[in-house]
Amino acid sequence: MKRSPRIWPALAAPGATWLLALFGIPFYAVACVAFGTIDPIFRDAIPQWNPLAWDFGQANEVLQSAISGPLQGVFLRTIVYVIAAMIISFAVGFPVAYFLARHAGKHKLLLLTLVIVPFWVNYLMRMLAWVNLLSPSGLFSRFMGIFGIHYNWLDGSPITVIFGLVYGYVPFLILPMYATLERLDWRLVEAARDLGATSRQAFRLVTVPMAQAGMAAAAILIALPMFGDYYTNDLLSRSPRTEMLGNQIDFYINNSQQPQRGAVLVMMLSALLLVALSWYLRSTARYAKERVK
Amino acid sequence: MLRRDFLRNLVITTGGLVVAPSILSACGTSATSTGELVIGTPTSPTKLPTNGEAIADGLAEEKGTLEILNWADYTNPEVIADFEKLFGVTVKTSIYDTEEAAVAKLRNGTLKPDLIIGMTDTALARLVAADLLQPLNKSYIPHFSNLIDGLQSPYYDVDSQYTVAHVIYANGIAYRTDRIDSSVFTSGNGYDAMWDSAHKGKLAVLDSYRDTISLAMFQAGNNDVNTIDADILSAAQENLIRLRDSTNPKVDILSYQELPAGNRDIAFTWSGDILTALGYLPEGVSPEVLGFWYPEQTITANDFLCVPKESKVPVLAHKFIDYLLDTDVALKNQTYVGYQPALSTITVDTLLSSGTIPESLKDSLVTPEKYDSGQRLVSLSPDADALWLDVWAAFTAG
Repeated sequence: MKRSPRIWPALAAPGATWLLALFGIPFYAVACVAFGTIDPIFRDAIPQWNPLAWDFGQANEVLQSAISGPLQGVFLRTIVYVIAAMIISFAVGFPVAYFLARHAGKHKLLLLTLVIVPFWVNYLMRMLAWVNLLSPSGLFSRFMGIFGIHYNWLDGSPITVIFGLVYGYVPFLILPMYATLERLDWRLVEAARDLGATSRQAFRLVTVPMAQAGMAAAAILIALPMFGDYYTNDLLSRSPRTEMLGNQIDFYINNSQQPQRGAVLVMMLSALLLVALSWYLRSTARYAKERVK
Repeated sequence: MLRRDFLRNLVITTGGLVVAPSILSACGTSATSTGELVIGTPTSPTKLPTNGEAIADGLAEEKGTLEILNWADYTNPEVIADFEKLFGVTVKTSIYDTEEAAVAKLRNGTLKPDLIIGMTDTALARLVAADLLQPLNKSYIPHFSNLIDGLQSPYYDVDSQYTVAHVIYANGIAYRTDRIDSSVFTSGNGYDAMWDSAHKGKLAVLDSYRDTISLAMFQAGNNDVNTIDADILSAAQENLIRLRDSTNPKVDILSYQELPAGNRDIAFTWSGDILTALGYLPEGVSPEVLGFWYPEQTITANDFLCVPKESKVPVLAHKFIDYLLDTDVALKNQTYVGYQPALSTITVDTLLSSGTIPESLKDSLVTPEKYDSGQRLVSLSPDADALWLDVWAAFTAG
């Protein structure tokens, strides 16, 4: 019996419902807060559910600030920190994933578990542990002192925040990278070597292109939470010099009387991430197309 | 102790102002508040509107459980245990992080405590507007007379109808005496020390926009900490940015931990925090390493205790308030909390002779005279508040 073609769209229904309930509606609520008003006494957000009555005053102010005001620096800093943390994460995580996928042999699973186990500990606890280690009297600072490196890691340094982001998110890069590399057809690499490519050429011309989609997925997977991260900065810096977008959202939503501004920033961040996500989707589509060819 | 974000999110006033939200909001949504906001100021004290009646005289205290809503670690557990033993009841504590979140949860019924500890006058106006508090019956609070005179009928709640003052504190500069000579505060403008680039990376300001913007104003010799003048605020913004650029400050409320740990040299903070800091000194480190400069021009403030209208054990809640006003209990509580009880029976000498506060921190203690001479942060109109928040955003955006 031939199945009705309707079955295929129907299979998407649970996912679509899930997306609508847990993304579509909440996102609309954020927009209603962003373009709504506040209670004059209690200063709570009063969402404006009717799009025809949306007030864009706060959104304009935030946009102006992001273009030429104080928020401009916050946006740029967030982008720079995330890109830097992503590059370092790849530098650290890719070799680990590569080793696990290719050279770990029968200990593969054990090693993968060992890499992941420390990250079962709550993120906050791990960051608080680093606060102790990095404090001037902390173990790490004293250890570095042996080599003549006397650096106040917790004085509001961007380096500390970037390394904090790397430390927090690198396992989320290792896992998808490992999954990608593990499934690669390594015979192609061997063929390249047989045809005279050096190991470096084989890596650059065969391994990397084949792993491209996985790399993009891993990059997106860690970039999305990094863009909205605020507690890494809260715990390791707390300096205006390292203020990220997440910190500003936290401030406006939790500690100011302008929750609409926080909601506007959430929407702007979402737009920014949408650009990154569309790049990912395009690159994976292109990769799939090339593979078909 | 996780110290509170005091005086952070304020509402409306320029002096005993009553604001009808229907006039203000004009936004046409049905979800807006329906009460009215009544806020007193030092120059225009306010008798709050009476919502309901206080409990009758002579009732026996209830048995069962007293549920308290409190800041984290803001009451000595031993003090609570003693109360439980004394009255044969159980005390349960819920924690709040910000006044705004607590007021919201009280309004929507998520929190239903029998007693609230530690709120400030900025939240009071909203609690009363939402009809969440019950008037107090002082016949259950005989220790009320222990309060310092100025707080027996405070400007924000004339005759203490709904509130009883709890602790007092002032803004000032805490520092490490082993790294900073106290003469820097006395040889010129003491506030300048906060702008000294020698403390770069080892300096902190409060993560509380009203307090820290006021710091910049005091440093520039401006004492109007409730200004709505855009020029003054703009000057304060430049001053704060100068501080930021020269010292790369931390912006948090953790100096009570970081100073004793040696991670900071100097911090603009609440006076109670330096007393709390004593409990965080590493073993073997003398309390003398902590110092506090109490500026002549600064902000003084207090928080209070109050009983929600829906309290299930209102008599017991009154008894707990009275219990905290007992001199011995308040002293015991102070040794844990750090913050200074708002009692006239606990003087600077009492605290120093109790042995819990070193002579070097004598300056951090708030006398009734100092309390009276301090500036008070009062609530701002939404427009004025937006100006202050813009200054803060420019500062924190780095």
